Amino acid sequence: MLTVQQIINGLLLGGVLALVALGFSLVWGILNIINIAHGSFVMIGAFVTYWLFDLFGVDPFLSIPISMMVLFVLGYAIQRGIINWVVRAPALITLLLTFGLDLLLSSLALLWWKADVRSVNPSYGGSRIQFGTLVVPYVQLSTLILALAITALLWLFLARTRLGQAIRATAYDHTGAKVVGISLGSIYAVTFGIGAAIAGAAGSLVAVVRPISPTMGASYTVLAFAICILGGLGNVAGALIGGLIFGLVDVFGAAWFGAGYADAVVFAILLVILLLRPQGILGREYSGGTAEG
Amino acid sequence: MAATRSAYTRREFLRLTGAGLGGLVVLSACGSSGSGSSTTVTFGAAVSLTGSLSQEGGLTKDGYTFYKDWVNAHGGLNVGGKTYQIDLKLYDDQSNPTQSAQLFQKLISEDKINHLLGPYGTDATLQSAVISEKYQIPMVEGNGAATSIFSKGYKYIFGVLTPAPQYLKGVIDALLEANPAPKTLAIISDNDDFSVEVGKGVADYATSKGMQVVADQQIPATSTDVTSVLTGIKAKNPDVLLGSGHFNTSVLIMKTCRSIGLSAKAYGFSVGPSVPDFKTSLGDAANDVFGGTQWTKDLSYQDALFGTAQDFNDNFNKQFKYEPDYHVAESTAACYALHLAIEAAKSLDPQKVRDALVSLDAMTFYGQIKFDSTGKNIYKPMAAEQWQNGTKVTVWPQAAAKVKPAYPAPPWDKRPSA
Repeated sequence: MLTVQQIINGLLLGGVLALVALGFSLVWGILNIINIAHGSFVMIGAFVTYWLFDLFGVDPFLSIPISMMVLFVLGYAIQRGIINWVVRAPALITLLLTFGLDLLLSSLALLWWKADVRSVNPSYGGSRIQFGTLVVPYVQLSTLILALAITALLWLFLARTRLGQAIRATAYDHTGAKVVGISLGSIYAVTFGIGAAIAGAAGSLVAVVRPISPTMGASYTVLAFAICILGGLGNVAGALIGGLIFGLVDVFGAAWFGAGYADAVVFAILLVILLLRPQGILGREYSGGTAEG
Repeated sequence: MAATRSAYTRREFLRLTGAGLGGLVVLSACGSSGSGSSTTVTFGAAVSLTGSLSQEGGLTKDGYTFYKDWVNAHGGLNVGGKTYQIDLKLYDDQSNPTQSAQLFQKLISEDKINHLLGPYGTDATLQSAVISEKYQIPMVEGNGAATSIFSKGYKYIFGVLTPAPQYLKGVIDALLEANPAPKTLAIISDNDDFSVEVGKGVADYATSKGMQVVADQQIPATSTDVTSVLTGIKAKNPDVLLGSGHFNTSVLIMKTCRSIGLSAKAYGFSVGPSVPDFKTSLGDAANDVFGGTQWTKDLSYQDALFGTAQDFNDNFNKQFKYEPDYHVAESTAACYALHLAIEAAKSLDPQKVRDALVSLDAMTFYGQIKFDSTGKNIYKPMAAEQWQNGTKVTVWPQAAAKVKPAYPAPPWDKRPSA
């Protein structure tokens, strides 16, 4: 029974982690940009939710569309204004640029909001569903459901809408896409904006279940990176599977080896995956946008 | 020719005078910002005003500020017949121990401060004590309780607070008075020096009293999620859950207990319940939680400057509009210990003050302040308090307790949802 409870805990945790990784995977797979500032987008989303809750009493789940919109606009502007210059440049350049961006964003957040740790405390925070001895807290369950919903929506968007198909086309063959009249600049910007928006949604969900602070971003970037390697780039399901596995490994690692070693276990497994199956569990390569080096 | 020469001479004269005046202004400014004017003594410290320890750091700062304002209004500091006013120079170390040490270095070498107060927390105190030892300037601290601070052979660090292993002793004593007394105990400790010492201390003490420790886990001090650990502990069904960590961890543990339905008969924390924000962060979930405490207003201590513990409580409340918890009291007590040592030494010289600290033995509103050969105060006992119906009450020692401890705590399902 304890094991079942731990599995539930792992899946609940994994859902949020999957969402954190999803935006990162999208940007990496389509734009070939490893966005070091991704964690800062998560942090901004978390703080949008926090301030809306603290100042205006907006329910944290209802603030998700707002944080997604804020981050979409921010992401679009950053891509169009800054990153667009280095989209086809060597990887080191984009890493440097996004690293600087990350420093800028987290330092501004530190300046405005101070280093204090804050938490969102909705009134339903303690409620849970009970099946015998199994416990599923409402808040965590809702975050999992929302994470799955957003993942499904993204998949539908990429597969079924014109814009989604344009984005995938650009990734497969950007020269061909130009030939058929797709505007590369706006496609890149929209994709980056969507990636940021999803990071914002993940941040909002994180804010409900964990304490947040302006310096929280860095660990989420590392997490996203690791999940993408685990689950494989290039498709939505990879981030989802990777995130869920990550959540399970984290929980069982903590339970079997002690909470201090959970991270070590997770990264040990990552090492094994890299050695045996470097493209990740569900990895596929986009011909145009392979993750080089 | 003559006109040109006199114009040049006048300009030259003005230039020289201007430079001279400017130099005088600069010199006098340097003089006054350095060691203070000749009738002010400045105590200096780096405190965690922002960051993960900002709650506790804010309380420390208020404790120091209250000392300064009270002493300046009640006769000042008497150094061999001459009266001095007190000033404070505080920096924000952002809850970063390395930064704390750097700021203390700045206080000593740039600001020329000769009287140091401690930062908040064991980690910062450990790092900063290295600096005070290097420059041989005594530091009196009230917020770093781990014995590891005092086991390095330092001669210039003095702690007025009861050391870490004792922290939860009062809580266990209060619980063992209940009938039937709790039998099993689970402990979660942050993996920093202070918390680990508290955890080990209470585990040893509880075992010596016949209790059984069913779980003793450590978690990273910066944990943001304790669901997995608490799920494992819930399966062991402990009577008592004790947490040893700082404010954020204590709040996180209580919230997680509530969300996963871990209902222990008693919860207790080393740091957290005594901080006023514990109740605002948790609402109804704070009720019946025990806290180890260095000081409460119900203890029957007193001294000539601050009066009784209750007097200190009321005077502080009047100025700062909230009732002081033990972090405030121990910070004021650290200032007061330095104050008493300076008066006893009849000198501001760091060496003489340090020697006076070694032989200090005083009863204060905070309790007895006396240091053993390593600099820690082993002469003051720990107390315990508990939140009951939204108010914090002292429950141990029994002589100071006006009410009995509330035990057992109602399970989560039976509480009004908050």
